[in-house]
Order: sequence, then structure tokens, then C-alpha cells
Amino acid sequence: MADFALTLTDISDRRLGPLSLALLPGEIAGVVGPAGAGKSRLLRVTAGAVRPRTGDVRVWGMRVADPAARPLIGYSADPSTFPRGLTVQEVLMYYARLHCAASSERSPRGLVRDALETAGLAASADLLVDALGRADLHRLSFAQAALGGRRVLLLDEPFSGLDAFARRDLRGRIARLAAEGVAVLITSRDPAALERLAARVLVMRDGRIVRAGPLATLLGERILEVILDAPPAEPPPGFRLTAAGLEASLTGRTVEAALALCRAHRLPVRASRVRVKSLEEVVLETQDRH
Amino acid sequence: MRFLHCVHAEFLLVAPRLTRTRLGIALLALGTTLVWLGAHALDALTVTLQAGALGSIIGVAAIVGDETDRVGLTTALSHPTTPHAIAAGRWLAIVVPASALVLVCTTAIGWRTNLVFAGVLASAAVSGFGMALVLWLGRGAALAFFLFMAVAGTVPPERLVDIARPGIVRLAAASAMELGPALWHYRDIADGDPGAIVHALAWTGLGILTARWLISRSR
Repeated sequence: MADFALTLTDISDRRLGPLSLALLPGEIAGVVGPAGAGKSRLLRVTAGAVRPRTGDVRVWGMRVADPAARPLIGYSADPSTFPRGLTVQEVLMYYARLHCAASSERSPRGLVRDALETAGLAASADLLVDALGRADLHRLSFAQAALGGRRVLLLDEPFSGLDAFARRDLRGRIARLAAEGVAVLITSRDPAALERLAARVLVMRDGRIVRAGPLATLLGERILEVILDAPPAEPPPGFRLTAAGLEASLTGRTVEAALALCRAHRLPVRASRVRVKSLEEVVLETQDRH
Repeated sequence: MRFLHCVHAEFLLVAPRLTRTRLGIALLALGTTLVWLGAHALDALTVTLQAGALGSIIGVAAIVGDETDRVGLTTALSHPTTPHAIAAGRWLAIVVPASALVLVCTTAIGWRTNLVFAGVLASAAVSGFGMALVLWLGRGAALAFFLFMAVAGTVPPERLVDIARPGIVRLAAASAMELGPALWHYRDIADGDPGAIVHALAWTGLGILTARWLISRSR
């Protein structure tokens, strides 16, 4: 049991489960699904903020309600709110003092310095939290969750509202922590945000995990995109219409066979390309199927 | 020891707020007004009791009244602390500036130790009650509590219920004023009345425990 960084066993409550999952040290698991699917609830239960009706959450073998587990598990809520009237550094110092109350091994200043560096917030350390932009607020939320060398991170919608640059930066920082052995459970309404980060994806709907697997397996399916000079009245069997032409899954057939079918239907093919199915498509398909 | 460290961490939240939010200026305005009233209209005991009680209510609004402060408790509780430490630390963060205001006002109008004692105990009781009230009902409750303390809380219940309708309303009003924190009650602390002291201490403890329970529910 203690080989896993995080285990959830038969968790259920009014709006969640039953569900079980386990995270290895250094693993990044993404939870995707539409609004109201139960992603945030799952994280709140995992963080110990909500007690489930049944089941057990353990962090490195310890029950999450155990005070000894609290320094090991960090939680970033969506949206994150912090004490008013404080600077970034003061907010982190407040949390760091709580960590140092539990253990006198490290000084609060050292913890704050590390957290600022981990989240890339050193330049904003003296800014008031009320004046922070969205990207820095997300970084601060990430910093407080990671503060004190936590071994499990629960990040609720850390990419929501961020531009591509801020997303890439935060993604890199999360990946670096995972490379050091920190297990990360991360939720996102936007599956594309997790596509370059999560090694495993859990698709949620109505409080249950309806599909789960390694990202490489979920994205294994290849799609043939065909760009046409003029759209056909009706697509050939196995194809569907797109804005630029047609597309078809390559499961069970070759590219040549699919293109031959287009030629047989006398379609004006201008170009074609093969791509892998996106996580967004996988999630939407899963949602439609259920 | 760990509990005290967590309480200390919560208490330290007050220092930046005194200078960066309206808390400092509001306490300063209250102190100035009370000292002026002490020189023209109010007796010294009323000034110190009002400084402790009204200073505490302003502190309650500033320390736990804001929506972000209450929502932020969820984040605070994800760190190694306890609802009890948060309640005790924030109570302390409310009481210390209010007690400092009592000291300043008493010094300005003429130092008497028994007045300071009454003012600080009134501050402790009102902080405990006010913190629980505002955590439960929000910042608007602080305004209502402030008005009650500034006006009705100074008058003994037998005088107030005389103007209310007889019957159940009268009984409820008299009971609330007898049981709840009110300045007419705490005037007797200055004379060393044990009943008044116990009343203030009971509201201090009960307020912190209720706040602790409300904070644990905000996880």
C-alpha cells in the first residue's frame, strides 16, 4: 500500500463514485470531464476537505485525515483565495509558518524561497495578492500547494484562463516536480491542456470514472484527414464530413485503402494527412457513448 | 507547542492589515472619537468599554468578515494547522489591536487599571461572540452588532424592555440582553464583580469554540 503515493479505495458520497484509483510517485494523472462531472469534488475528497460516505483515502499509507499526512499532500482549489492585504511573499510566509510549526527542520524563509522558485514567482514576491494577474494567481496557488516539499499535489483547474505561454510555463513546472517523485492529480475542463502533461487520463461523468488509461493508449487511434476541393453530398462509408472535407478512423484499414475509397467515389482530393486522435475527441466520444 | 506556532501564524496576519487596509484608520478614528466624547459627554468607563467592544467589532469585520477570508479558510486548512488554532489565532488578532485601543484611550482620558481591565475583558468577549457571528452570517452581521453595541448595548435590559411590547417579545429581548455580551453588563467588571467577569470569559470561550466549529465546516 505504501508503494503508492496516493490511494482512493471505494470512495463514494452523494455526488461521487463509487470509484477507486492509485497514483505512483512521480505519476501525473489528469481528470477530465464537463462541468459538474465531479472533478473538483474528487479533489476535495482526496484532500480531506470533504469526508466521503464510504471508502478510504491514503497518502503514503496514511489516512488523509491523519494530521501526519497533511504536510505530504498539497491542494490548490479553483478558484484559489488568499488572505487579503498581503503580498505574495507574506501569503507564502503565512503557510510556511504552519509547516514549520509541525517540524522545526526548516525555516519558513527557506520554504518561501523554495516555493517562489518552484512556481516562478520570485519577481512578483513583493506584489499585493489583490493586484496579481490570473497567471500569477495560478502560480501562487501552485506554490502554496507545493510548499514544504509535499509529495502529492492535487491541482484543480490550474490552467483555466491561462494563455498558451503561461500554460506551457506552468506545465513545465509541474512536470519538473513530478520528475522529482511528486505524484500529481490534476483536473481540467479542457482536455487539450493535459495532453502534453498527464501520463494517465481519467474521464469523469456524473461523479464516476467512465474511462481511464495511459494517454498513449487513449491517443493510439489514427485519423485520416482528407481535404477536398468541393464537399461531397454524402461521405463514403466510415467517413464523416468536416469543414475542409472528410475524416475517417484508420482502425482496421490502411491509408491507401481509405484514399482508394475516396477515389472510387470520385471525390476531388486536394491533400491528405494522418494524425492521432486528440484527447478532446477521446473525451467527447466517451461522453457521447455514456 | 505546535498549536501555539499555528496561533502565532494566524495572529501575524493582523500586522499588514493595520497599515494596508481600512482597519488601522478605522481604529484610529474610533479612538479619536471616543476620547473626544470622553472629554465632552461620556464617562471614562463607557469610553474604555466602547473602545474594547467597538474596536473588536471593527477587527472582526477586517479579520474574518471578508468573503475571501472565509473562502480562504479551505486553503489554510489544507496546510498543517487545525480549526482550533485558526479560531484562536484570529481571535487574538482581533483582541490585541482592540486592547491596544483601550490602553490608548484610557491613557488619554486618565489611567485607571480597573478601567483597562474592564475594557480588555469586554474586548475579549465581544471578539469571541463577534467572530462566531460574522463567520456564520457574514460581514453585514458585524454592522448590526456594531450598532447594537454602540447604542442598545450600553443600556440595561430593564430600561430597554420597558419600551418594547409586553409578552414574548419583551421576554426574548430581556433574555437576549441578559445572556449576550452587552456593555451594561461589563461595567461591573471595573468593580471586580465575579459574575460579570465570568460572563465575559464564558463568551470568550464559547465564541472561540463556535468559531472553531464554523471553520471546520468550511473545509
